[in-house]
Amino acid sequence: MARTLRDLRPVHVVGVGWHRYQNPSDTSYVTLGVTAIREALADARLEWPSVESAYIGTALLGMASGRPMLRHLGATGIPVTHIENASASGSTAFRQACIEVASGISDMSLAVGVDKRNPVRRESTGIDHLAEDAIAQFTHFSLLTNEYAHRHKVSFEDIARVAVKNHRNGAKNKNAQRQRERSLEEVLGGKRVAGSLTALQCTPVGEGAAAAIVASEEGIRRLGLDRSRAIRVIASTARSERVYEAGLGFDAVLTKETAALALAEAQISAKDLDIIELHDAFTVEELHYIENIGLCREGEGVHLLKEGALDIGGRCAVNPSGGLIAMGHPIGPTGVGQIGEIVLQLRGEAGPRQHAGAKTGFAHMVGVGAVCYIHILQAD
Amino acid sequence: MEPALLKPTLYTASGALLGGRCACGHVFFPMQTHGCEACGRHGADLQPLTLAGRGRLLSSTVVRFHADSARIAPFTIGKIALDEGPVVRALLVDPDREIRPGARMVSRMVSVGDSAVDLRFAPES
Repeated sequence: MARTLRDLRPVHVVGVGWHRYQNPSDTSYVTLGVTAIREALADARLEWPSVESAYIGTALLGMASGRPMLRHLGATGIPVTHIENASASGSTAFRQACIEVASGISDMSLAVGVDKRNPVRRESTGIDHLAEDAIAQFTHFSLLTNEYAHRHKVSFEDIARVAVKNHRNGAKNKNAQRQRERSLEEVLGGKRVAGSLTALQCTPVGEGAAAAIVASEEGIRRLGLDRSRAIRVIASTARSERVYEAGLGFDAVLTKETAALALAEAQISAKDLDIIELHDAFTVEELHYIENIGLCREGEGVHLLKEGALDIGGRCAVNPSGGLIAMGHPIGPTGVGQIGEIVLQLRGEAGPRQHAGAKTGFAHMVGVGAVCYIHILQAD
Repeated sequence: MEPALLKPTLYTASGALLGGRCACGHVFFPMQTHGCEACGRHGADLQPLTLAGRGRLLSSTVVRFHADSARIAPFTIGKIALDEGPVVRALLVDPDREIRPGARMVSRMVSVGDSAVDLRFAPES
């Protein structure tokens, strides 16, 4: 790799906004998207004509959805690029906006994730398979849950506690799709989809939008933005799956190598992280990822969970937004929304979800394929 | 008459799996000629290799719900590390029972519908 984001000029997030993540409705994606963008502009105290480029993260809207949405902000003629990268679409849009600003091509760039729940269509590679058409995402993660429980002698009940924590966090988030606290009994008692996985341990895929505006130092100065509320992006890394040893979980190994690069770029270690927003589409994922990010050794995630170390107010607040399980996972918005949560936390503006003294936050997404995207943000 | 194989590009009537091996040594399933995931070689460097249909169970799970109503739940999916190296995910013979990880597994041909057979895995007896 020739250069990292950190080697280029500094990039700051100056504005974040959402349209609440929600169950599928007849709300148009245009309403979802412009609501989030207008909130981000207001948060940055910025007018739309100052934004010089836009990256649209969307996986399910189909071709060319961006311009028909952005024109309702006033058609300024800026370059518009659509990013599809499965669950990491929003994270990728954010990374591209950061790169655009870091490179000096723009001083002010928008990353917006927007999606409606539509059928997923993936073209055949021409290679047949034994049973992949029978294997939904929850089945893949149920297999991993069983492997994790067996390897580390952990109970399914303990793994399900991830959902209890994340529903508790989501209950305090007005933008979360699920805003209700759930007891362990409720989480375990719901409909079982595969193995021990119950519906409340799985992300609800819905619709919504999230926006983040990134700016250079020069842009912040020139437009007179509030420097004290700008949060710097100190690392951006992305990797895709390689060939791993048989039996290793590819999402976990991919996370491990991407996280190591991100922490090195940020010149910090995992113990310096105050906030982690990660891809907990299914409960077992949170344990896999915190272990592979390096918060603890493999198999020890449940101990941290049970002692409250991953709670808001604990050692490192993991998924204070509610995560994919409670905040929701409308696909395109998800990665951008993680950035928004971290920005609120590092500014001290997260209200009832505030993790006291948060200085450094880490956003992690994996996407089918498989890809992994990580950003680290730090308050001055 | 022999029943038709549901997926004849993937296995034989005796339950062997139709995999491949690259000149670099990487063994994969199923056979394909697009290119080797380990090294990128393609064409004649990728040659068919018959895999015996035996391996070790990494994990299994009983699926109780599927969006496609034609696929009747419950069914059990197993993740099997084949003796030759590749990891495959396949339906298990028993539709409603998880099997202990580490179990030795072997392929079995099972009737599906009126006139076809499909490959499943079951614990070695």
